[in-house]
Amino acid sequence: MLNTLIEAFGLISTWEVIIAMLAASVYGLVIGSLPGLSATMATALLVPVTFYLSPIAAIATIVAASSMAIFSGDIPGALLRIPGTPASAAYADEAYAMTRKGEAELALGAGVWFSAVGGIAGTLSLMILAPPLAEIALSFSTFEYFWLAFLGLMCATLVARSSPVKAIAGMFIGLLVSCVGIENPGGVPRFTFGITDLFGGIEPIPALVGVFAVAQVMRAMLTPEPPSIPRRKFGSIMAGQWKLTKKYHWQMTRGNIIGIIIGVLPGAGADMAAWVSYAMSKRFSKEPEKFGTGHVEGLVEAGASNNASIASGWVPSLLFGIPGDTIAAIAIGVLYMKGLNPGPTLFTEKASSMYAIYLMFIIANLLMIPLGIVMIRLASHVLRAPRSSVMPVIMLCCAVGSFAIGNNMFGVVTVATFGIIGYVMEENGYPVAAMVLGIVMGTMVEQAFVTSLIKSDGSILPFFERPISAILASMAIGAMIWPVLVWLWRRLKPASPAPVASGG
Amino acid sequence: MRLPDRVTGLFLVGLGAAAAYGGWLLPPVPGQPVGPNVFPLVIGTGLALCGLAIAFGIGHTFEEEEEIIPIEGGQAQAPKGKLYGLRALLPPALLLFYVAAADRLGFIITAGLIVYATATALGARWRLSLPLAALAPIGIHLIFSKLLRVPLPTGLLPMPW
Repeated sequence: MLNTLIEAFGLISTWEVIIAMLAASVYGLVIGSLPGLSATMATALLVPVTFYLSPIAAIATIVAASSMAIFSGDIPGALLRIPGTPASAAYADEAYAMTRKGEAELALGAGVWFSAVGGIAGTLSLMILAPPLAEIALSFSTFEYFWLAFLGLMCATLVARSSPVKAIAGMFIGLLVSCVGIENPGGVPRFTFGITDLFGGIEPIPALVGVFAVAQVMRAMLTPEPPSIPRRKFGSIMAGQWKLTKKYHWQMTRGNIIGIIIGVLPGAGADMAAWVSYAMSKRFSKEPEKFGTGHVEGLVEAGASNNASIASGWVPSLLFGIPGDTIAAIAIGVLYMKGLNPGPTLFTEKASSMYAIYLMFIIANLLMIPLGIVMIRLASHVLRAPRSSVMPVIMLCCAVGSFAIGNNMFGVVTVATFGIIGYVMEENGYPVAAMVLGIVMGTMVEQAFVTSLIKSDGSILPFFERPISAILASMAIGAMIWPVLVWLWRRLKPASPAPVASGG
Repeated sequence: MRLPDRVTGLFLVGLGAAAAYGGWLLPPVPGQPVGPNVFPLVIGTGLALCGLAIAFGIGHTFEEEEEIIPIEGGQAQAPKGKLYGLRALLPPALLLFYVAAADRLGFIITAGLIVYATATALGARWRLSLPLAALAPIGIHLIFSKLLRVPLPTGLLPMPW
């Protein structure tokens, strides 16, 4: 144990890792703070760069950039009432109300301090939860893997803030995308339409860049430019945070725990954690009437929650290759690329690398405090950058980055196509996160499914025979038929004053 | 680009049916009950069922109407013609332009054109978009070609490094 820890320290105390981490932190802070550029997008655009780094440095950039971006999304939320990332949307109104009351320092300070606390709590959960779960996971067969993956996909559709039917449809589209290529049980070209470039299948990373980056540029073409931020001087940012910690320690802990749970759930990420925690905070608060008028309590809980979910989202990713959220989905791609294939054996064979990941998470969250304060002070300058100068650079990064992944122009075509798909889906209320998880997990789901079917000789029964797989199966099927049940329930009870959906 | 649920739902029914049919046509692995055809068959069927449900409006009540955060300061509303929505297609079109032109024109020129077009479309004046179009490609070229050794096409305008 101690030896592994020392080894892990050795792994991360190289210049490459340190510089990569610092650079990625600054990058994450800037991208996260610009409205419309999400943490997922920051991470996706980083992947081509990680190709050229050592495994640990590559993971360091992902860890640092994603943690920083989730925090710095709070900055424009508080100053402009425009969340920098979707994860800050839950409490942007509250934070802005505080700014109007002249408490911008307190709101932003709470953002940076409780983000760091949440991030560290999430890391601790990763350290504590992952090894024992790995023990259990070692005895999993393809039946359990199939249900686990299926459950993961279902969770992603349940938590989507949209129609669950559309989310399930999105997931199926993602799975369909993963069908393309010759990497299937028969090794025959499937849905390639004779295009050689499609034989290798559709790479998840260019698809992700398209869905999260190109679609965002497309949306920017039709929406008005956000207002630029007024110049202002900030007082002490960390003053009063310790007092808040003592006053709201229970809220903070609850936020951490909710964030960890939501992070571990496949498919549900930081934005969900923030929404749930903010609602919880309001529900259990002693003074719920103050919410919405610039009350710091909800900020404490939700800010702690969304950062906690980032680290705990790595638990299912590292153990099963099932992403806890869209950022973890990208991280899985990087892990595979770097020979750290997710799976329970990772914790025994590559223990030092795992400890290195824990350490990097802790360092990134500690680093967040000083860098975050600097970022808040510089925010009025960074947020002045007009959108018309940021978006073109994003476009170039999309083009070059997707080319760099395979040194192949087809990657650029993929990015453009998925930009359109992502844009159209989002416009019509189909959650893209569900599709992304489908793309990332498709091959694994199919492999587990087909292998299980071959083992069971085409029979469905063995899917439910092992105890763990029976439990997972009932959960997954429950998640699947839940929307139908709710719909039936509402149909059968027409007398209740249910909110009438407006068409369109 | 907001389409009625009926249209997107029926599109998904078609897509799902096509996928299931396409999967069904795939050759099975000799001597095995399941092959590459099973998964698309399942997915396609599921997708078609979802499409039907969407077309009939099941689950619509769960959808939250998009909250539009009012921007303070009164933004001037851009005139919206019928073709205004097509502006959204500019970014993917520019990426396809990159695919078509980069090998012939080289990275610097193509990238410069893309930057200029995107910046102008987003409302930048030439005083911002021209210098940006000149400098951003060089910066990206430095990072990706020099530092990360991505073989970017040289074309008409090779960089001195």
